[in-house]
Amino acid sequence: MMRLDLGALALRLVTYLAMGFLFFPILITIMVSVNPQEFILPPSGFTLEWFRQAWTSDTFVRAMGVSLWLGVAATLIANALAFMVVLAMVRYDFRGKALINLLIMSPLLIPTTIFSLALYVFFARLGFGSGIPALVIGHSIHVLPFAVRILTASMQNFDLSLEEAARNVGAGPVRTMFSITLPVIRTGLISSLVLCFVLSWNDFPISVFLAPAGWTPLPVELFSYIKFQYDAVGAALASSLILISIVVMVVIDRLAGLRRVLR
Amino acid sequence: MAAPLLLAPALVALLIFVVMPLLWVARTSFNQGVDGAYMVSAMTMDNYVRFLGSSWYLINTLWFSIRIAIVATVISVLLGYPVALFIAQTRGLQKSILMTMVLAPLLIGLVTLVYGWIVIFRGGGLLNSLMIAIGVYDEPVRYMWDLKGVVILLVYIGMPYIVLSLLDSIERINPSFVEAARNVGANRWRAFWSITFPLTLPGLYAGLVIVFTLNFSAFAVPLMVGANDTQMIGLVIYREALLNNDLPFASSLSVIMILANATILTGMAFLFGKLILNRLEAKR
Repeated sequence: MMRLDLGALALRLVTYLAMGFLFFPILITIMVSVNPQEFILPPSGFTLEWFRQAWTSDTFVRAMGVSLWLGVAATLIANALAFMVVLAMVRYDFRGKALINLLIMSPLLIPTTIFSLALYVFFARLGFGSGIPALVIGHSIHVLPFAVRILTASMQNFDLSLEEAARNVGAGPVRTMFSITLPVIRTGLISSLVLCFVLSWNDFPISVFLAPAGWTPLPVELFSYIKFQYDAVGAALASSLILISIVVMVVIDRLAGLRRVLR
Repeated sequence: MAAPLLLAPALVALLIFVVMPLLWVARTSFNQGVDGAYMVSAMTMDNYVRFLGSSWYLINTLWFSIRIAIVATVISVLLGYPVALFIAQTRGLQKSILMTMVLAPLLIGLVTLVYGWIVIFRGGGLLNSLMIAIGVYDEPVRYMWDLKGVVILLVYIGMPYIVLSLLDSIERINPSFVEAARNVGANRWRAFWSITFPLTLPGLYAGLVIVFTLNFSAFAVPLMVGANDTQMIGLVIYREALLNNDLPFASSLSVIMILANATILTGMAFLFGKLILNRLEAKR
């Protein structure tokens, strides 16, 4: 009997250690960012001064603007494409569905290094190299499979008779779409929009290959910043990104279930 | 009629921006790189010979990346397996919290996460200060910009995928199987090895495929916390493409990387197939 309990105890212990391993750097970053004395731990007080500096730094604010535009553009493009794909895949039967599905999920299967290099080489061939179009396209395609996956889950539960009823009382296809279909799948749609945005907002590998000089997304900017200095302002920016991501995770978990979405 | 119209935009986008670029990389790998200029169209094996014919590249880049990827993948599994077993037993809020913690590194950007690790690991950082303060050693030890840092971070971002894939297959196991084994006298250890473990092999394989590929192709992690001697193949691709502007060489490295990865994964599939078959036969 003794041995069994030891096994269960060991399992619990390893899990807690692993959780500590996963969460320790996040915790440290947050502690450093609210500590009045740079890097002297334990914290001697509480301050938002570093956050103020991070959020008023010209470089960071400009990079946030870039990431915001990039994220919104990629999210809208990916979700528009994904919505049409999901309508076709869920509601129609046709040959070659498996192959099409493989193609649509392919951005997830290709290592990011290869995908980014391929786009870089391809756009260089077209004469652009890295640039805003390449960056937006790279991000849109990178997040597309996630949007397809979430929207598929919510469309599969859709009751088609709702749309039929709307048509029967005289609503056209556009009206039906906006007053029936979209509202019914809204939790899936919101999760998809939020997840795509965050994935784009936090992306480093694709951006570092494709971002043009002078249009640097936030993670690339943060990377060049911490290459030279590790001050509390950097920590405050990192903490802001962590907090935003955690809020988004909780929202997605409530709406769609985190596990189904990220797998 | 409606389905093709709905699919067309996405499929055209994927063909133009995924399939064509990949084919173009394959074609570019046979071109001739020119110093300080755009490449010259050619049909040469030079780029492949330059890599595969150099024992330095083979040992310090290809074999090195494979070794690092194996080490990081194995550690991820050793850590991730017990975590998945534990999470599978939890319910409700505890499960939500644990899942959020496991999945956080997947969603929070890499650069952001690296920041915390640098604070902990750098020369005058937390870990060194602590170790010196309690007298474990006197001089700061190098953790970052070193192999250790690369492996730690690869495990950090790989482990969540292992937990996710394992959790699916653990939760699919019918609990009455394990119970039956326990009823006929197997202890928990025995029940685990003869029931649970074989049934999680497919999930483990799925996780291994994702994590090994991620580790083997990594460039951002060695770029951020690696040193000059951590020339993983992904990093060399990045450097050749963006810093040296040698697109043909970078392309040929990508082709080599994809082929090496496919070969290793096929070997692993074979191994897992055998393992699963052996388990089945042993039970007969």
